[in-house]
Amino acid sequence: AMMNGMLHLASPVNRDRIIFKFPKWYTPEACLQFKDHFHTQVRTACQERNARTVGLKISKVVVVGDLYVGKTCLINRFCKDIFDRDYKATIGVDFEIERFEIAGVPYNLQIWDTAGQEKFKCIASAYYRGAQVIITVFDLADIKTLEHTKQWLEDALKENEPGSSFIFLVGTKKDLLSHAECERTESDAIKIAMEMQAEYWSVSAKTGENVKEFFFRMAALAFEQSMLKELEKNDETIAKIGEGDLISIDKVSTENSDSRIPANISCC
Amino acid sequence: VTGATMEELDSGPEGAFQKNPFELTVEDVYDISYVIGRDFLKITGGSESVSNPVPDLQFKVVRVLEMFETMVNKYNLTLEELKMERDNLKAEVERLITESPSWLNLGPDKMVIDLKDPNRPRFTVQELRAVLQERNQLKAQLLVAQEELQCYKSGILPQNEQTAAIETESITPSIKGGNEEKTMIKRLFSFKQEKQT
Repeated sequence: AMMNGMLHLASPVNRDRIIFKFPKWYTPEACLQFKDHFHTQVRTACQERNARTVGLKISKVVVVGDLYVGKTCLINRFCKDIFDRDYKATIGVDFEIERFEIAGVPYNLQIWDTAGQEKFKCIASAYYRGAQVIITVFDLADIKTLEHTKQWLEDALKENEPGSSFIFLVGTKKDLLSHAECERTESDAIKIAMEMQAEYWSVSAKTGENVKEFFFRMAALAFEQSMLKELEKNDETIAKIGEGDLISIDKVSTENSDSRIPANISCC
Repeated sequence: VTGATMEELDSGPEGAFQKNPFELTVEDVYDISYVIGRDFLKITGGSESVSNPVPDLQFKVVRVLEMFETMVNKYNLTLEELKMERDNLKAEVERLITESPSWLNLGPDKMVIDLKDPNRPRFTVQELRAVLQERNQLKAQLLVAQEELQCYKSGILPQNEQTAAIETESITPSIKGGNEEKTMIKRLFSFKQEKQT
């Protein structure tokens, strides 16, 4: 059983997938968090973990949006550094695995590329579940696709626990617009991003502008969140042990003891 | 139109008797009624008139009856024609329904497929789902194999070390996980269960 995780840890991560500094947001108007460094707790845990080489971290990312907005192109630019000018509609779903090393810890993103065509919706939507990140994509040059992002997000959120996913709103084909045009559409998009509680990015898969920056930012946020979740879990385990000790030492005061342990732990 | 009106005015109410019955208007019928009524007055109370009005009135009544006859005939003929046409259409509809029931009984959400079209829709969603699932599994296996190869190439893994059997059954959209000992692919593609703790 050890083999499985070990195999992954053994092969080195590509040098340009190493994240050390916390990547910056695109615009402060619509961004998920402002800090420019990893959570201290996470940083410490990473340093310890690094030596112990514990389990492989994976996060699921789901990319949704209208057909022909460039979801596949965006993923292909980042994962394979290629850009195919010809349009080929995605059939149902596709996926890529991208391997990172963040703060010294190996980390994988499982990126699900879904079909934008209505006829595939029934198939693609089955893959929305358990998404730690939802990326809603629209075409900066086609305002209708921006309007549709709300519906795409709603559909994706239906399959996930409320508040459990990071949401990104990404405008593609930035190269097709003039600076002024881009700014105009961006201000509309930022408004929608704020409503969605999403972080906003403008990118171009063709030129590669902001593509790597966006994926790094997304990976770092998702990584930090899953690390924090895990730390929380460990804290709870430690707390339970503490509770047990308390009972054996001081049986009388357990009922109304002012311990910091939340009441809901016992139900797990 | 103006010419016709002028003519009517010229001939007076008497002119209505000379008209083609199919071209009669309501005004003409009123004119006829007026003329006949006037003639009746002449018979009953007109002692001052010189000539005998009866033959003239008789002629007018006969003319009106003739017009009526023409109209009734024409009406019956038209009715007969319409009935025949209706029956013919009924028969035609019934023939079409019995000849091609599948074509005409389509509901509002149904679609017609041309079986000779090489590009016609053929496969079901279930089939596509299964193919996609299989494709995803194979892709996952490929990724693992590529990585293993990378490891061997770079000398990280010794040649004699056995790798664990790769299970790829779990790269499905909704996975029932929960097994403690997961293969790498399972770890990659089923973390739904882990989220619930």
